[in-house]
Amino acid sequence: MNKTSKLLALLLSGAMMLGLASCGGGAAESKAPEESKAPVESQAPAESQAPAESQAPEETPAPAAKSAEDIPDSMTSADGKYQVAFITDVGQLKDKSFNQGTFDGVKLFADANGKSYKYYQPANGDQATDDDRYDAMKAAVDGGAEVVVCAGFMQGTALEKAATEFPDTKFIFIDGWSLGLDNEVGVTFKEEQCGYMAGYAVVKEGYTKLGFSGGGGGDNPACCRYGYGYVQGANAAAAEMGADVEINYSWQYGASFSASPELQTMISGWYANGTEVVFAAGGSMFQSITAAAAANDGLVVGVDVDQSSQSDTVITSALKGLSDATVWACGKAYDGTWAEMGGAADLGADTGATGLPVDTWMLENYSVEEYQAQLADIVSGKLVIDNDYSNLEQDWSNVKLNII
Amino acid sequence: MTFLIQQTLLYAVPLMIVALAGVFAERSGIINLALEGIMIFGAFVGVLFVNLTQTLPVFADAKAAGNWVALQGYEILAMVVAALFGAIFSLLLSFASVNLKADQTIGGTALNLMAPALVLFLIRIIANQNTLQMNGDAASWFMLKNSLFGMKRTEKGNFLWETFVNKSYIATYVCILLFILLSILLYKTRFGLRLRSCGENPQASDSLGINVYKMRYAGTTISGALAGMGGFVYALTTANCASTGDVAGFGFLALAVMIFGNWKPLNIAGASLLFGLFKCIAAAYTSIDINGDGVYLLTEIGVSQHVYRMLPYIITLVVLAFTSKKSRAPKAEGIPYDKGQR
Repeated sequence: MNKTSKLLALLLSGAMMLGLASCGGGAAESKAPEESKAPVESQAPAESQAPAESQAPEETPAPAAKSAEDIPDSMTSADGKYQVAFITDVGQLKDKSFNQGTFDGVKLFADANGKSYKYYQPANGDQATDDDRYDAMKAAVDGGAEVVVCAGFMQGTALEKAATEFPDTKFIFIDGWSLGLDNEVGVTFKEEQCGYMAGYAVVKEGYTKLGFSGGGGGDNPACCRYGYGYVQGANAAAAEMGADVEINYSWQYGASFSASPELQTMISGWYANGTEVVFAAGGSMFQSITAAAAANDGLVVGVDVDQSSQSDTVITSALKGLSDATVWACGKAYDGTWAEMGGAADLGADTGATGLPVDTWMLENYSVEEYQAQLADIVSGKLVIDNDYSNLEQDWSNVKLNII
Repeated sequence: MTFLIQQTLLYAVPLMIVALAGVFAERSGIINLALEGIMIFGAFVGVLFVNLTQTLPVFADAKAAGNWVALQGYEILAMVVAALFGAIFSLLLSFASVNLKADQTIGGTALNLMAPALVLFLIRIIANQNTLQMNGDAASWFMLKNSLFGMKRTEKGNFLWETFVNKSYIATYVCILLFILLSILLYKTRFGLRLRSCGENPQASDSLGINVYKMRYAGTTISGALAGMGGFVYALTTANCASTGDVAGFGFLALAVMIFGNWKPLNIAGASLLFGLFKCIAAAYTSIDINGDGVYLLTEIGVSQHVYRMLPYIITLVVLAFTSKKSRAPKAEGIPYDKGQR
């Protein structure tokens, strides 16, 4: 009896908090104490070992044929503790891109290893402060987290504070860097590689008027690397083909990684003036960009995960193996090889962490074989792509770059 | 030019129809501050309706077969549903301000606070995230395009066709038509005259046998329906048919446009077009080519982007500064009607 009423009270207060939290600023994201509607899936400690055991993430480890879609986003653990925690970046959990890709890794790892998991969204949504992020991390640790996966380089300051304060908890900093603490590891990706491959592929396909719309207002290293790689790839392909390529390059309306009517109008303007393919490198901005593309019969290059299922306008996507890398790093946290990483891991094509989606290949003039040959060159180190994005504004041989 | 006109319409039409919604409420004597909240609610209901019904065979088949007439009907149906729920939502305001004689400003504010919270709460339950969206792109379902009329990809119609048919939404024209019809209703019919009289001198209207309560209910309900529809049109045309518990302040902008337009439909249409135009310039000044000679004048002159982004608001301030002297609100708005008072 008592238990039921307690649960009810919890549920009601959860509902109230949701309402209150979202009351503030319209689109404000709530911290979401997802206590409601717990999926009654017992966590059945599966005996199957970690899929990507102490080894770099393969193309798809596919733990026991269970896809991340099948695993519920929230679960209730028997003891009320959540061993693997995920702290979201700005943007939503279900952005079908960065946050979701990382969280998929958390879910896959937890599911395969019988761990309990939970996600935390720092308060105040796009306007989250370091304190909000720290609070989310502290809540995660208080909730029994052994491993905390933090997505996004903006969590650095909060993470440093939390990691120092909770030395017994392991922190995985996706898109981050080493903070010099034993319990933290920064996982970065060579985004310039998949950006390069995407830029190369669309120019090889025959498109000469491209666009790049990135998130983070030009301060986000990952997005900058994507963009810089994209331009390099487009330039390389254009040089081979003797073509001239024009690229509109913009960080506008992307600071909060969210969709907006203004962004849609701006991208519509590009398409209306002849732009053929726009690289949407910024979480939920994707929605505005595909909306503009669908209206103008344009095309889009997706980012982070294969986004072709979300819109018919997606021609290819610049992949980074967020989910695989998360599974891999979580595995390291549990199998005693944590220290081997030495605080940082930079994953690229050689570990299968960057690439283009082969399963949903839609390009016609540029074949999978050509792509794989290029990928092999990158893996072997024959083709090295510069990642110093401060060189973006140079004299490109075949690209006219319009920075907007 | 085509691009500029199309994008201006996309911004101006939701503003225009929602500002007219404000006019109907205020002319009947009820201040409807809840426009923003009703828009949010209407957008949510419309998107939810599309999201839930788009897999039904009748609509899915129409999409698969490229039956655009059916899809336009579907779009209008979604608008009607949004309008219906907008009207129901606005009944809360009419009940509080007509029956309970509550302060209308506070009632409206309460709805504004409630709508985003309620909508986000429901979206979380339904979609387990902060955005509710239709499956696929709004434009590929609902937009009118040349290809639908059997034209080839490279084929172009004349200027009028390219501007007003290709890449447009039927919702835009439904709203414009409704705007005209309702303006006529307000000014040229007996019902309109009675409604307006209740916003000026309800005691006099009552003495002539007009039921003031009924008129105020009618005004607010029409207002709610229009605002709900406007919210969905906003979500459909500028947000890829997604609802996020937010309409980017368009409801408040519509209030400003209504005051700006002096509670008169024609002025409101002008004001919203002006605002829409500058909003469009602010977002897309780099790709606006006015006379088609390949020169992007607004970028070439090298004015900072921030200036362009400020423009819509600066223009509003300037025009208000000049016109506000002549501004005349309905006399009895905001005052609960009391039969015993004289």
